[in-house]
Amino acid sequence: MKLRAIGRFSFPGGVHPPEKKTLTSERRIQAGPAVTEVAVMLSQHLGAVCEPLVRKAEAVQAGQKIGDCDAFVSAPVHSPINGKVKEIALRSHPVLGRSLAVVIDALPHHPTKRSYFTLDDDFDEGRYSAEQICEAVREAGIVGMGGAGFPTRVKIEPNPRLPKHTLIINGCECEPYITSDYRIMLEWTRQIVVGVKLARRASGCTRVLIAIEDNKPQAIEQMSAAIREFADGGNIQVVPVKTKYPQGGERQLIRAILKRNVPTGGIPPMIGVVVLNVATVAAIAEAVVGKLPLTHRAVTVTGEAIARPGNYYVPIGTSVEDLLEFCEGVTERCAKVVIGGPMMGIAIADLKVPVMKTTNAVTFLTKEQIGRAKFARRQTACIRCGRCLQVCPENLNPTRIAHAVKHNLLDTAQRYYMSACIECGCCSYVCPANIELTGYIKTGKIFVARQKKKMAQ
Amino acid sequence: MLKDIRVSCAPHISEPLSTRSVMVDVAIGLAPAMAAAGYYFRFHAVVLIATCVLSCVATEWLCDLVRKRPNSLDDISAVVTGIILALSLPPKLPIWTAVVGSAFAIAIGKMAFGGLGANIFNPAMVGRTFLSVSFGVLMTSWTVPATMDPAMPAIAQGNAISVRTQATPLAWSKLAIKNELGADIYGEQQFSATLTGEIGGCLGETSVIAVVIGGLYLLIRRTISVHIPLAILAAALAFASIAYFIDSYVYVQPFFHLTSGGLLLCAFFIATDPVTAPLTRRGMWLFGIGVGTITMLIRIVGEYPEGVMFSVLLMNAVTPLIDRLFKPIPAGGKPGV
Repeated sequence: MKLRAIGRFSFPGGVHPPEKKTLTSERRIQAGPAVTEVAVMLSQHLGAVCEPLVRKAEAVQAGQKIGDCDAFVSAPVHSPINGKVKEIALRSHPVLGRSLAVVIDALPHHPTKRSYFTLDDDFDEGRYSAEQICEAVREAGIVGMGGAGFPTRVKIEPNPRLPKHTLIINGCECEPYITSDYRIMLEWTRQIVVGVKLARRASGCTRVLIAIEDNKPQAIEQMSAAIREFADGGNIQVVPVKTKYPQGGERQLIRAILKRNVPTGGIPPMIGVVVLNVATVAAIAEAVVGKLPLTHRAVTVTGEAIARPGNYYVPIGTSVEDLLEFCEGVTERCAKVVIGGPMMGIAIADLKVPVMKTTNAVTFLTKEQIGRAKFARRQTACIRCGRCLQVCPENLNPTRIAHAVKHNLLDTAQRYYMSACIECGCCSYVCPANIELTGYIKTGKIFVARQKKKMAQ
Repeated sequence: MLKDIRVSCAPHISEPLSTRSVMVDVAIGLAPAMAAAGYYFRFHAVVLIATCVLSCVATEWLCDLVRKRPNSLDDISAVVTGIILALSLPPKLPIWTAVVGSAFAIAIGKMAFGGLGANIFNPAMVGRTFLSVSFGVLMTSWTVPATMDPAMPAIAQGNAISVRTQATPLAWSKLAIKNELGADIYGEQQFSATLTGEIGGCLGETSVIAVVIGGLYLLIRRTISVHIPLAILAAALAFASIAYFIDSYVYVQPFFHLTSGGLLLCAFFIATDPVTAPLTRRGMWLFGIGVGTITMLIRIVGEYPEGVMFSVLLMNAVTPLIDRLFKPIPAGGKPGV
């Protein structure tokens, strides 16, 4: 496998939404609000939900493990602050609706903010064995920080049945508005390189490709320079990819760079590839070298409706309300609060929703921004224009699937490969008839999952 | 601080496209052809277009009323159907006939199937077929353009043709095939006349330049994709070339078929109607090749001089089958069971 010419790596399909990254792309990552209360969700990842390890009124230290689970596909959660457990109660969860969280009151006069992680100059990943790294990653509760939240240990751990050879570091950040990964690449460059080396050592990959969209030339340049300086001739390479949504989807990224397809319903290790987000890689460096669990993350607070957009380093569990207050509220009439970016993010109704390990941004959208989307215009019948088929990065027939789900024909939806949908939202984005194609498909998938669950019982 | 925030599923932004904007684009694309029709066929052409549009809109409104459905006029699709129907009518068609055709096109061709998006056949072509079958004479009376010198010799020399009406180039070429006349008398002058539109034919199909300008507009705006027009024209050209090489005395030169009759109008505006065309790219190729080939079969072998209308309807009928044939396979291959 040889890499094709630099810069134009791409995949068929996809859309070009307005990038809107300039709102926050020049803002350095700053300390977030001084929180008085955090709500650490016990389910911040794909896989089994954690059991709380603390009781009400118990004092906790920053970095103390407060929830864990024996299941293989799971990740523990930790307290980001020193404080006292106020309660273990249901809180609004962006995906699961209501879910258990450990609510911690911050103790006054205690440092609630972790200072930035620093690295020694004489770092050598050879000091750590693959097992040590995997164990540290698991103990630190690291999950995929790009959005899906798959436990990282499960991903990087060598598996004799599925040997891995290529590690792709995902710095695409194809969602509009979001800049947290971009700022991480600019400001924590060295840390990312260290994380990359650790992940490479743990997974046994022989080649590392760092994919960055070509609308971030500064990040490409800086990462390349850092690799020349620190990467000791290892097979690490920066790959500029075409700016296009959803370039950061791991299946799309693999297709773009390696010209290979991950089997439908399969995972990248089946073709020997691991994809890790840059923020995840940075967290790996902190976990292994600094023995720091994943308790803080960089979050982009952005959108036309926020007074002071920026990139903030906040404790996990900080509520959106606190962030909003810290960013001096909303300027115009804010019409939608979205956890994540506007293409795949989840609109929330309750501002108490806490920041999670997977929350890379909170976007405050104005009526003008969303006015162009769905509800401002009338939905018409599907005019069969085929735009959704053309933009679908997985080459599906979204209109057929969506209409099958609408009419409760789940068999038909399955025959058109509903389960292969990655829910990127491209079809809804281009639909001239304003049909919520992605919404229908997501609904259909949930129905099918429920049916399967019923059948299993 | 925050009241009235909305919740919906992702994505929260979208392209500024709507069914209406797509239809308006098509109407704009048809504007040059309408202008050419107005220029060559004068007042009656304008009246015909206005009649068709108004009666299409009125019929749709009535159908919505009868079906107790919300008014669906704001998607502009009825206007587009009206324009396309008008442009495929002969210039001197009586107004009442146009009204009947429009009403049939919308009521039977579209609303009876369930309205926009549910119709199997192109409504405008349904209306035109109805008129052709019911009013055969009226639908084949071609007037010369008002700008044309009445003294200019008619294309079909040797045929008794009145000064006011004239055979279309296609009718004439059909005559050549049937009577085994030489086709080469079709001169340079007539060829250039098909480009500008100064020739007999339906309202919108005579001026190649106007139709192509409109078609290019749609292509540049990406309202239509290049697949269907390209497939139609390539298939028609290939078929006409085969006929021409077999017997170049009887059959006219291949480019003549592209520039005369409704082929271009069909390729850019009629066959590309999204509702009745296939969804997939490969399906579009097959659909276009089918339309082009059937058109040429009818023109060269069949009884009618022009075959666009029937070929579009025939291919519309097989569109669901084409869609089934080219069901997209996921990029990652079929999932393992």
